[in-house]
Amino acid sequence: MTVSKPIRPITGYWADRPLAFKGLVVIALPLAILFGALISLYLASNAETRAEDDVRRAFAIQRDTYQVHALLAEAAAGARGYVLTGQARFLEPYRKAEAELPVTMARLDAEIRDAEVRQRFETIRRATTQKREGLKRIVALAGAPAVRARNADALEAALISNKIVLDGMRREIENIQRRERVLLDQRQAKVDQVRNSFLVLTAISAIVGLLGSLAAVYLFSTGIVRRVRILEDNAELLARGDALTAMPDDADEIGTLGQRMHRASALLRAREQALRESEERFRLVIEGVQDYGIFALSIDGIVASWNLGAERIKGWKAEEILGQHFSRFYPDETREFLPAEMLARARNDGAAEDEGWRVRKDGTSFWANVVITALYDDSGALRGFAKVTRDMTERRRSVEALTAAREEAVAANLAKSEFLSRTSHELRTPMSAILGFGQLLELDDDELSPRHRESVHQIMKASRHLLSLINDLLDISSIEAGGTDLSIDDIDMSELLEEVHALVSPIVSAAGLRFILNLPAKGTMAAADRRRVTQVILNLVANAAKYNRTGTMVELTCQQDENLVRVSVTDDGEGIDANDVPRLFTPFDRLGQQTRAKVEGTGLGLALSKRLVESMDGQIGFEQRQKGACFWFTIKRADASRQSTARPTN
Amino acid sequence: MPANLVDNQQILAKRILAIDDEEANVLLLKNVLEREGYKDIHCITDPEKALDAYITLSPDLVLLDLMMPKIDGFQLLEAFSRHDKSDEFRPVLVLTADTTLQTRRRALALGAKDFVSKPFDVIEVALRISNLLETRILYERLKHV
Repeated sequence: MTVSKPIRPITGYWADRPLAFKGLVVIALPLAILFGALISLYLASNAETRAEDDVRRAFAIQRDTYQVHALLAEAAAGARGYVLTGQARFLEPYRKAEAELPVTMARLDAEIRDAEVRQRFETIRRATTQKREGLKRIVALAGAPAVRARNADALEAALISNKIVLDGMRREIENIQRRERVLLDQRQAKVDQVRNSFLVLTAISAIVGLLGSLAAVYLFSTGIVRRVRILEDNAELLARGDALTAMPDDADEIGTLGQRMHRASALLRAREQALRESEERFRLVIEGVQDYGIFALSIDGIVASWNLGAERIKGWKAEEILGQHFSRFYPDETREFLPAEMLARARNDGAAEDEGWRVRKDGTSFWANVVITALYDDSGALRGFAKVTRDMTERRRSVEALTAAREEAVAANLAKSEFLSRTSHELRTPMSAILGFGQLLELDDDELSPRHRESVHQIMKASRHLLSLINDLLDISSIEAGGTDLSIDDIDMSELLEEVHALVSPIVSAAGLRFILNLPAKGTMAAADRRRVTQVILNLVANAAKYNRTGTMVELTCQQDENLVRVSVTDDGEGIDANDVPRLFTPFDRLGQQTRAKVEGTGLGLALSKRLVESMDGQIGFEQRQKGACFWFTIKRADASRQSTARPTN
Repeated sequence: MPANLVDNQQILAKRILAIDDEEANVLLLKNVLEREGYKDIHCITDPEKALDAYITLSPDLVLLDLMMPKIDGFQLLEAFSRHDKSDEFRPVLVLTADTTLQTRRRALALGAKDFVSKPFDVIEVALRISNLLETRILYERLKHV
């Protein structure tokens, strides 16, 4: 940035001064020169005045010396006339001289400067005094005729000596006159000299002033205007982002401004560079993305950029597709309208998303998810669109497969229900005939022989057992098929238990047992399927009645806690062997079948009950009692069905 | 008691139409009814002839099986109710081996007056039949008052 000039130390000093200083210099320099010129003019004119004064004084001295001489000469002539005539009127010049001489002498005394003249003047002054005294004596001697006669000799002597004094004085005066003439010439010459030098000085002042002004303007223009011009150009360059013209790094305001501008330019260029690099990085990232086709479209839908992902998904290379309309990616069926529609949507809503079939370069189709986003510049004008394409073919396939699988499952489920319904029908229909006819035989057994009667009885017993087996099996299967009949209602448990009690009392009584019913608190409501709850309770009570052959009672109890309704069936029979407990709810596992061969059962009751309870989100369990067994199950409380499903600890 | 209102002979004289594709079941119903003393019993095992029989015989009670080939009991129920006048009470007792809730609801919604699942108790079926017939007789009586 530093521009070294050959004479940098000097210009540099000037250049480094602040602008105020420079302005002051530029204005002050011509003024100072002008002022100097004025002073010199003043001095010159002063010298001239003095010289002229000297000349005037020389003339005055000449005049006065002549006057002194004239006054004395006239006074002497008068005195002589007086001596000769005795007439007083001859004394007039003497008296005039007596009056004027001191004045003239004093004037001369004041004006004489020259030493030689002063010396001669002193001689004259003495001679004058001598002369005046001489004249005084002469006048006194020649006062009266008598006196005059008496003093004739003295008078004569006085007249002679007086004449000598006057002659001497005349010589001195001539000398002074001569001297003054010399001085006058000298002074005249000096005045001319001063006048000449004044002219020269004025000329020099004018020239120096002019040069000074020119120098100041030059300095100003080089120091300021030139640099301001550079600054102006640099500002333009800065705006364009080009490199700036170098500028001397002077320390004044303009120099500082220039340096700041250079720094700003450097910063801007660094920033621009960083931006370019970041854009480049971003471009590389975009171009490198493989899973997404990311590319730009012009406002008209012409492909303006292309990335690897787009190449991978669509098959075109960048040079093959750039400049073409993006409707090429659409299949024939949608090419006419969909691309235009997508752009219109993106233009209106900012973005448009679509999923559908697109074509690759080789003509194959793929299922694409496409998002077109409108791109705006800072002023809000539409610049084009960004399009992101994803190949969703695989996902679509898996979704389709999933859907198919789901449909298959639903169909399978339907088929299962259909199968159950059919099986139910197919198994029951013959049972209907067997049991129906069997019952008819039983009803009319008085017509049968005892042997036949017993046969019919056995057939009926086996048939009923088979029927209950079929029923339980179908129930379990139907629950496992998806609980087709589950209908959860609010059930009043007291009411339900009383109904069940009425239903199973005969069985319990037939077993020779007491039936104890412990009803729940009034208003105990369960959220469950009424039929299933009834079925489970029936199962449990029937079981208890069936297996309690040593005890005296069956007890049915219902309680509620915060979230659950708990129903338990307890007996005071033999209880259940601890080893058998884990297998209680397993189908067809009739415990100790060999020892209890006399007890009739399908082996499905508890398994069915377990499934029924679990289908209503309940739990079923068993507790060993000191004497006997306790089976329990829980279902949700109606008013607590929406609360947390906390399980009781057991 | 119904016995006081309607004479038993009057009930037993009523015409009953039993429709079931299973021969054995139709036979069972016939046996049950004969055992009770019914005289006018008609049996159909081909469901395609059921509607014709229903129209020509104009029975007082129909015993209907639901699950039958070609034309099932539901279709017959619809056909019967399309055919009958609205002020007629001609009860249909559905007998089916399909005990699912949907089936029962659908049958009753289509106009079945009662529902018995197979296998059934002979005595129960006989009672239901006589009850339905008694209701029909009382209804007819009210209509002619």
